[in-house]
Amino acid sequence: MDELLEVLGYKVRSSEMAEVAQKLEQLEMVLSNDDVGSTVLNDTVHYNPSDLSNWVETMLSELNNPESSDLDPTRICEDRSAFPKAEEGADEEASSKRIRLESVGSWGELTRPLVVVDSQETGVRLVHALVACAEAIQQQDLNLADALVKSVGTLAASQAGAMGKVATYFAQGLARRIYAADLSGGSSVGSSFEEALQMHFYESCPYLKFAHFTANQAILEAVTTARRVHVIDLGLNQGMQWPALMQALAVRPGGPPSFRLTGVGPPQTESSDSLQQLGWKLAQFAQAIGVEFEFKGLAAESLSDLEPEMFETRPESETLVVNSVFELHRLLNRSGSVEKLLTTVKTVKPRIVTTVEQEANHNGVVFLDRFNEALHYYSSLFDSLEDSYTLPSQDRVMSEVYLGRQIVNVVAAEGTDRVERHETLAQWKVRMGSVGFDPVPLGSSAFKQASMLLSVFAGGDGYRVEENDGCLMLGWQTRPLIATSAWKLAGA
Amino acid sequence: MAFVEKSSDLSFVCVVVCVLLQTVVPLNTWVLISNFKLAYNLLRRPDGTFNRHLAEFLDRKVPANANPVNGVFSFDVIMDRQTNLLSRVYRPAFAGDPPSFTDLQKPVDGEVVPVIVFFHGGSFVHSSANSAIYDTLCRRLVGLCGSVVVSVNYRRAPENRYPCAYDDGWTALNWVNSRPWLQSRKDSKVHIFLAGDSSGGNIAHNVAVRAVESGIGVLGNILLNPMFGGTERTESETRLDGKYFVTVRDRDWYWRAFLPEGEDREHPACSPFGPKSKSLEGLSFPKSLVVVAGLDLIQDWQLKYAEGLKRAGQEVKLLYLDQATIGFYLLPNNNHFHTVMEEIAAFVNAECQ
Repeated sequence: MDELLEVLGYKVRSSEMAEVAQKLEQLEMVLSNDDVGSTVLNDTVHYNPSDLSNWVETMLSELNNPESSDLDPTRICEDRSAFPKAEEGADEEASSKRIRLESVGSWGELTRPLVVVDSQETGVRLVHALVACAEAIQQQDLNLADALVKSVGTLAASQAGAMGKVATYFAQGLARRIYAADLSGGSSVGSSFEEALQMHFYESCPYLKFAHFTANQAILEAVTTARRVHVIDLGLNQGMQWPALMQALAVRPGGPPSFRLTGVGPPQTESSDSLQQLGWKLAQFAQAIGVEFEFKGLAAESLSDLEPEMFETRPESETLVVNSVFELHRLLNRSGSVEKLLTTVKTVKPRIVTTVEQEANHNGVVFLDRFNEALHYYSSLFDSLEDSYTLPSQDRVMSEVYLGRQIVNVVAAEGTDRVERHETLAQWKVRMGSVGFDPVPLGSSAFKQASMLLSVFAGGDGYRVEENDGCLMLGWQTRPLIATSAWKLAGA
Repeated sequence: MAFVEKSSDLSFVCVVVCVLLQTVVPLNTWVLISNFKLAYNLLRRPDGTFNRHLAEFLDRKVPANANPVNGVFSFDVIMDRQTNLLSRVYRPAFAGDPPSFTDLQKPVDGEVVPVIVFFHGGSFVHSSANSAIYDTLCRRLVGLCGSVVVSVNYRRAPENRYPCAYDDGWTALNWVNSRPWLQSRKDSKVHIFLAGDSSGGNIAHNVAVRAVESGIGVLGNILLNPMFGGTERTESETRLDGKYFVTVRDRDWYWRAFLPEGEDREHPACSPFGPKSKSLEGLSFPKSLVVVAGLDLIQDWQLKYAEGLKRAGQEVKLLYLDQATIGFYLLPNNNHFHTVMEEIAAFVNAECQ
C-alpha cells in the first residue's frame, strides 16, 4: 500500500497507482461529456471509499463506460497538464525527507479518542478523583480507595449534568468492588425489567434506532430477490427492529416475500411466555400490512446453548439472515462461547449476518484500563442524553438506569458475571474473519438514511454517522459509540 | 534549484522558487487530488445545493488520539454548546506516560509556546477538522513549530453562509485566548497565530481583522493558497481554467454557496481589498506569510491580497511557488512541501525568542 495515501485514509497499492490514475482520468472524461453521468453517480449507492481502485471501477461500470482500455489520444483531457510524466515524480531529496508515519488514523487498540465535554473545574476534579480511586483499587489499596470513593460521592452530588450522573454510577461500581459486595453487578434482576429499561433507552435516544435501521438496510440489500426470508434474531427483546423491516418488505416492488422470524430470548417463566406474546403481536402487524408471517420463539439461557437444528432452517426455500444487536459481547465471559455461537451461525449458512456492538474496548485485562475506557465512553453517551432544551423525561431517567447497570457491571463484576465485555469493531473484525466470515460493506444510501433519521432528534447536531471500512458507526461528536457491520460466509 | 530574490523594501520580500523538475506532481498526489476533484464535482449540484450526506460518507475521517503518535497527541473539545462548535487540539507529547484525561489541559511548558489556530480548507464547503488530510497536516505543524495547534471545525456552506465560519473562528480565538493552560510562562499570555489553507486562509484573515478591532493580540497569519476572488476575471483564472484540478466555474459555485444570497463577488468576504472593504491602514494587523501556488488559478487574487496588505503598510512575506498546484502541502513528497514547512517554522519561531 502507498504509505502516504494510507495515512490519509486511502488504500491504494503502489503497483496499482498508475492504473487508478488512468481510471480516474477515464471517469473524468466520461463525466465531462454530459451531466447525466453526474446525476447517475449521485443516485448510485457508493461503497467503501477507502478502496479507491474499486470505487472508481464501480463508477465506471455504472456509467457503462463504452471506452476501450486504450485511451483515444485525440481526446485529450484538459487536466493532463498536471498529469505526471512517465517516470515517478518524487525526486531523491524529497523522498529522503519522507516522514515515516505510524498508522495514526486506524481504529486499533492504540487509539484513545477523547472528547472534552466539561472543562469546568469541578468536572476535571471529579474525573481526577474517580481515576485516583480506580488506581488505588488497581494497587489493591482498599483503604485509600474507600476514602476516595466517598469524596467522589460528594463531588458528584454537586456536579450538575451528565458528568455528575456518570460519576455517580461509576462510584457505585467502585464501591461494590471495594466492598466485594454483590459482584454480579446487579444482573440478578429479572429479564423483563432489563427489557423495559431497554425500551426506555430505545425511546429516548437514537442508538438503538440506528442499530436497527442500519442492520435492516443491510438485510434488505441482501434479500432483494428472495421470495422467502427467515430472520434469526439472537436477542429479540421487544422486537422493535422488525416492524420497520416488515414494512419495507411489504412495499417491495413485485410484492413482499414471506417473512419468518425466529426470536431468541431468555428462559420463560411458567406464568408468562413473553416470546410467544410478542410473536402474536408481530403476527397481527404482519397481517395488517399484508405480509405472510411465521414466528417461533427460542428460549435459551445462553446463546452458546443454541444448536443449528433448533432453528429448523429450510435452506431449499428460504434466504436466511442472522441478526445480533448488542448480544455477541456477552459471550466473551466464557472461553469458547462466542466461537461456539459463531460456528453454529456458520453451520446454518446465512446469506447475511448483521451485528451491532458498542464501539469500545471494555474487555481489557487490566482493570484500570477498562475503567478509563468506560469512563470516557459513558461520559460521551450520557452527554448525548443530556438535553438542555427539554425537561428530563421518564424515558431519559430510565435510560440512565439502563446504562448505569452496564457501568456497574463493567466496573464491579468479574468472571462469568461480567457480561458487558464490549470490544471494538477492529477486534470483532479479527474474530469474525478467523471464524470464516467476510465483510459485506454498508453503503452510502444506508449512511444517508441513517443521517436523516438522526436529524429528527433534538440535539441532533451532535450525532454523527461515520463510514469506516465498510461499516457504519454512530457517535456523539467525534466519538463513535456503536458500530454496525454485515458479514457473509467467506468465499460465498 | 535557482533562487531569484527581489527585495524592494523590508516589508515586502518576494521569493520565487524555480523548480527544474519535469514532472509537475508525483503520481500519488495526482491520484489524491483527482479523487477529491471527482468527488467534489459529484457533490455540487447546478442549483447550488450540496449533497452533504454523500460528502460526509466519502470524507475520510480519523479519531482524535490521546496516545502520542510521532510525538503528538490530540483530543477534541466542545467550545460552544449552542452552535456545537468543536475543535481538535494537538499538543506535543509529554515525557513519560501518555497523558491521562486530567493531563490533557496541563499548562504548556515553555517560556514562549506558540498556539496556532488552524482553519482547514475545502472552499467553505468541504472537509472537517477531523478529516484525515487535515489531521495529518496539523500534526506536522505541531512538530514543526513546537506549537499547540487548535483546528476549528467551523460551520460550512451552503447550509451555513457568511458570516458563520467567521463567527466560529472568532469564538475559537476567544476560547484559545482565555485558556490559562495555553499561556506562555514569559508573560502569562497566549501567543496566537492564525493559519489556514484555501477557505481557511480567508477565515484566518477575517478573524485577524476582528481581533485587531477588539484588541486581541495575534502574532502572525499563515495563509496557504488562501481563497479570495472578485467579479473580474483575472489573467490567471483565464489562463489556468481547468488545467490543474480547478475551474473558474467551481470557484463561482463556492462563492455563491458561501456569500449571502444576492451578493456578488465584490463582497468584502470574497474581495478584502476590493471597493467594498474597510481599509487596514493604520491598524496593527499581524504580519502575514502568504503562500501562493504558481499553478493555482486564483493566484492573481492572492497576489492582489498580498499587494493590498503591503499598500496598507502591513508586514507581509509572499512565498510564490512556481510549479506548485493546489494541495501540494498535503503530502510530504515534493520540494514545495518542505520549503513551505521550513518557512512556516521560521515565521512562527521568529516570534518565540
